[in-house]
Amino acid sequence: MSTVNDTATTTGTRDGAPVFSVDGLWKVFGPKAHRVPGDPELSALDPAALRARTGCTAAVRDVSFDVRKGEVFVVMGLSGSGKSTLVRCLTRLIEPTAGAIAIDGEDVRAMDRSRLRALRRHRAAMVFQHFGLLPHRTVLDNVAYGLEIQGMGRSERRERAAEVVAKVGLEGMEQRRPAQLSGGQRQRVGLARALAVDPEVLLFDEPFSALDPLIRRDMQEEVVRLHREEGRTMVFITHDLQEALKLGDRIALMRDGRVVQLGTPEEIVGSPADDYVRAFVRDVPREQVMTVRTAMRPAASAEEAGRGPAVRPDATVSEAIEAVARAGTSARVLDDGRCLGVVDSDGLLSVVADIGADRRAAGEEPAGGVPARRREPAPQTPTTSEEPV
Amino acid sequence: MRRRTTMVVTGVSALALLTGCGAADMTQQASPFANARGAKTVTLSVQSWVGAQANVAVAQYLLEHELGYRVDTVQVDEVPAWDALSQGRVDAILEDWGHPEQEQRYVEDKKTIARGGDLGVTGHIGWFVPTYFAKEHPDVTDWKNLDKYAERFRTPESGGKGQLMDGSPSYVTNDKALVKNLKLDYRVVFAGSEAAQITQIKQFAKEKKPFLTYWYTPQWLFEKVPMTEVKLPPYEEGCDADPEKVACAYPVTPLQKYLNADFAKDGGKAARFLENFRWTTEDQNEVSLMIAEQKLRPEEAAKKWVDSHESVWRAWLP
Amino acid sequence: MATLTAPTRKAFPPGLSASPAVRKLAALALIAAVLVPLAVTRWGGGTWPAALTVDLSEPLGRASDWIIDNRDSHPLFLYFFGHVSNAVVVAVRAVYLALLAVGWAGVTAVAGLVAWRVAGLRLALGTAAAFLACGLLGMWVPTMQTLALMAVAVAASVVVGALLGLAAGLSDRTDRALRPVLDTMQVLPAFAYLLPVVLVFGIGVPAAVLATVVYAAPPMARLTALGLRGADKEVLEAVESLGATARQRLLTARLPLARKELLLGLNQTIMMALSMAVIASVIGAGGLGDRVYQALASVDVGAALAAGIPIVLLAVVLDRVTGAAGARLGQEPAPNARALWAYALVATAAVAVAGRFAGRLEWPDGWVLGIAEPVNRAVDWMTAHLYSGVPVVGGTADWAGRFTTWVLDPLRDGLQWLPWWSVLLAVAALAWLIGTWRTALTAVLAMAAIGVLGVWKPSLDTLSQVLAAVAVTLVAGFATGIAAARSDRFERLLRPVLDVFQTMPQFVYLIPVVALFGVGRAPAVAAAVVYALPAVVRITAQGLRQVDAAALESARSLGATSGQQLRQVQLPLARPALLLAVNQGVVLVLAVVIIGGLVGGGALGYDVVFGLAQGDLATGLVAGAAIVCLGLMLDRVTQPTGRRTKKGA
Repeated sequence: MSTVNDTATTTGTRDGAPVFSVDGLWKVFGPKAHRVPGDPELSALDPAALRARTGCTAAVRDVSFDVRKGEVFVVMGLSGSGKSTLVRCLTRLIEPTAGAIAIDGEDVRAMDRSRLRALRRHRAAMVFQHFGLLPHRTVLDNVAYGLEIQGMGRSERRERAAEVVAKVGLEGMEQRRPAQLSGGQRQRVGLARALAVDPEVLLFDEPFSALDPLIRRDMQEEVVRLHREEGRTMVFITHDLQEALKLGDRIALMRDGRVVQLGTPEEIVGSPADDYVRAFVRDVPREQVMTVRTAMRPAASAEEAGRGPAVRPDATVSEAIEAVARAGTSARVLDDGRCLGVVDSDGLLSVVADIGADRRAAGEEPAGGVPARRREPAPQTPTTSEEPV
Repeated sequence: MRRRTTMVVTGVSALALLTGCGAADMTQQASPFANARGAKTVTLSVQSWVGAQANVAVAQYLLEHELGYRVDTVQVDEVPAWDALSQGRVDAILEDWGHPEQEQRYVEDKKTIARGGDLGVTGHIGWFVPTYFAKEHPDVTDWKNLDKYAERFRTPESGGKGQLMDGSPSYVTNDKALVKNLKLDYRVVFAGSEAAQITQIKQFAKEKKPFLTYWYTPQWLFEKVPMTEVKLPPYEEGCDADPEKVACAYPVTPLQKYLNADFAKDGGKAARFLENFRWTTEDQNEVSLMIAEQKLRPEEAAKKWVDSHESVWRAWLP
Repeated sequence: MATLTAPTRKAFPPGLSASPAVRKLAALALIAAVLVPLAVTRWGGGTWPAALTVDLSEPLGRASDWIIDNRDSHPLFLYFFGHVSNAVVVAVRAVYLALLAVGWAGVTAVAGLVAWRVAGLRLALGTAAAFLACGLLGMWVPTMQTLALMAVAVAASVVVGALLGLAAGLSDRTDRALRPVLDTMQVLPAFAYLLPVVLVFGIGVPAAVLATVVYAAPPMARLTALGLRGADKEVLEAVESLGATARQRLLTARLPLARKELLLGLNQTIMMALSMAVIASVIGAGGLGDRVYQALASVDVGAALAAGIPIVLLAVVLDRVTGAAGARLGQEPAPNARALWAYALVATAAVAVAGRFAGRLEWPDGWVLGIAEPVNRAVDWMTAHLYSGVPVVGGTADWAGRFTTWVLDPLRDGLQWLPWWSVLLAVAALAWLIGTWRTALTAVLAMAAIGVLGVWKPSLDTLSQVLAAVAVTLVAGFATGIAAARSDRFERLLRPVLDVFQTMPQFVYLIPVVALFGVGRAPAVAAAVVYALPAVVRITAQGLRQVDAAALESARSLGATSGQQLRQVQLPLARPALLLAVNQGVVLVLAVVIIGGLVGGGALGYDVVFGLAQGDLATGLVAGAAIVCLGLMLDRVTQPTGRRTKKGA
């Protein structure tokens, strides 16, 4: 219980200082862009009005979040929501207009050229949507490219690169050129190139959206595996909700440059912050995202808390359904042997049918709680907005 | 930062080395193709007309076979050839039709060009009609009667007037002024090159058509297309001084040779040979004809002439 | 009329195609209505007013005298131009001596083996055969001279072009400043470049090399800039995200990514340099071009051809080899590439040494094949039988006469009769309709500059020849192009012919043309048509073939006849290509009409030739400037806006 609330409410103090800390970040494109963030009147305008007034486009508007060490932080949004701009602002591939960015407490925007270069070389590496490989180099030399730029000697960097190539499953293809590889293989090269420099954070900019669905799933699993094995911090940009839910420890959902909701997948699906998010997550198979925490209720009696199959608190609802269905009784939610509560078929069904909110609103304090957010709610309702593309 | 400074310094010093360490007089630079492979090379200027080619062919043949030189030839128009000669890109001009302005500048003032003596051939420029036409209409050979025949000399190019065909723009010509000052009903049409002019003359001759053309002797074409000169008002010393007011015939010019001054001094046997080179109009025409009409290669034509005129060229060898 | 419709225009649906054109014409009519009466009352109609001309011959003549007098004493020449000239001479000489030292067998072996490594076995054999053919034609030494000159000129062009392209590729401001200059330089006739260089360097190899560099560097610069700008944005971003410095980014990413364009630039530079190598013989380039030039002076088409063929062979070989090298980019190199290079090197060295010991460095005299005579016989036969008196159709001379009387004369007299302001107005209207107001302004200014230079009449004369030649070229070119696009077999037959005609030095056309059409403007026009035709045919055929197959299929499915398909689908869809063909046609025609000064074309071309021949740089330079303006005007008038071309392509 407390863990869920923690992740939602604290600003990342639990695991020490955040890797990336972004506060009030703006990126405005257009003439005299710098005046927009500071001007309360201009910054309140919606995109169309802003464009009409100033000729500027605000790609990122007043975004704040922290990325914690070891987590996979997903930024999700439709095209044009500003997510790709946002991730480029992190290493100043795009220069932000206003706001603060810190990496491990160091102010990124204050860095001079050489500090910035050091940041890009050693601390954050990026994987791109269309791979961004150098067509005239072999796989091995592409992977070694980041090391070459750092000035590492030829044999040493090739050795390192060969290790990483093996790690992403491209053994035997070291001497091929990008043109001779399939899309999935190319992205493995892109991934290997980023991994080769052993960065603190991996940044992914919609890395799999150009790939076939089956290959995309393979690659997602590859990322999951890498994260499990190495525990590297990742910032992952995607427009695919499934992907976001599958990979993300936390998800920031963006729209028109703002973060409309930030929380765990369960929070996003379970308690959408507004109608836009609700519309977005409507078709998500809730039982695969929501955990039993959402569905459980306090045990009615000690007897109830003592029998029935046991499930972990972070088990998905669908797992709990299977357990409950097999046993024919309610199941206990056990955390380290302590019983947190029970789930019965009613509770599980109400989660699947998304009527839990009503019930919770009418009755007890919800288990998942309304996710606390460090941002104001999105101003518009989705009914007035155009269809997502 | 330091690297950039180093680069700038290197660049500047390299430039300084290249430019500062000495002057380079480009008027003294020879052709890059000269003196290749150890042989002593002489570069001769060939003008575009065949008579000049004949001179050069014979000189080249003798220089190569009798004196052991290598000869390069470059085709340059007359006036620029003086400039090239002065710069040493060409060692000699064998046939010059008189360029007083250039002579003053290069021979008298700068002394970069030395006189090489007479070629032995006299040149004359004039207006010519084909002999077959002159025989039919003998009075056409006086300029006063030209207007009478203007109709016959008309071409599409000359519009309503008679056509007076001029050749290469590089040739010495007063024809535009002459037509104007003699008040003739003619238009000067420039063939643009001697090749074009000759081709046109031959086409006319083939059809026995009348034509009026600027032409000059010695010229091998007379052997193929006999032409008769039209008498212009007689030449007097100085009557062509003002190019705008010219109203007299062209002079008779003894053709001259010129050598680059340094070559004349240090050119050894080749320079002496070229100074001695002197032959007659008939000799030149003989070689010209072989080149232009029998389409022999210049060296073949030169060989033929050399084989049959040993007594003439023996005297030229130093 | 137009003014009335303009205000109501907005009410019409935007699809109405006439609307922008009408609006532009209306605006122009308005401007004209204000300016023309003013101008006419001030300066009068008719030909270009004398009050508006500037006589440059005096100062230019003085400048050229000053240069000649100070060339051997003034520090500018001693310390700058002298060194430039010296460097050129030394470099050309070094290459030339090296080529001679390797000997004919060595050079052939080197060329063949390099071609083998970069372009494959077939091209290697072709290359070796081409070099041997140069020797067989008795042109070995001139070929080596041209090759030496070319090597230096191409190297310098590539360096200069690449540096300019680098600047334009990396800096937007440089690009904006440089692009119009480069675009313009590319459309100017090579002849216009000769005089300024001669003015400074005098006749000779340095002048020839520098004129070639000026002529051949622009494509390299353009393509370098294009390659740098066209690089995959994401790759560059990826490189930057890894923390590359600007230099690393340039060397490891931007330049390698632009390799295709760089190679294409090299290819184009070589082709331009070769075509210039012949024209530069007028200013003393020597080599093959000089042989062509000398042969033409004695009306020896056969000898001109014997020197022209090596140029064509060199051009074709260099074009194919660099082209093949470009196509091979990005392919996996053969596993034992290095070993093969080593073999090639050893083999070359062996051949060269063998040649040396056999004492066969120079091409043996006995191995020369005389082609001049048969060619001349053929030409003689042609002129003898076609010149006049051919039954029914009349001879070529009669055609030329009629063409001159009925087309060229009325066109020239008409243009010269037109009041000067109406010519400017027509230029403005045309340029604006096809392009933007910017192109229109450039075109009008260029035309006005011609008037100011005081060569209004000869320029209109040249213009009339260009217009007539372009009209003939387009009619013939479009017809042939359409035929080639519809029949594969015809295109296959046509292709080698087009290749040869396109690479043949322009000079070679001049004499047969005189033999057939006599002296005057008609042969100049004929030579221009022959020269420009291949490009027009090729672009037309290509444009028609690239028409969207789906659109054609849908037309066919609706039962369109092949004529309907052509008229209603292919031609409209190929419009950008056809416009490009017009533009190219105009540019190429202008280049040859200028050279037509050598066969009696008169006008500006004659003035340039005269300037060169008489050392009268004032006349030549003014005419050269007028040619530049004319070229600029013609290009702008026929150049659709870049935006539109791209959309169509």
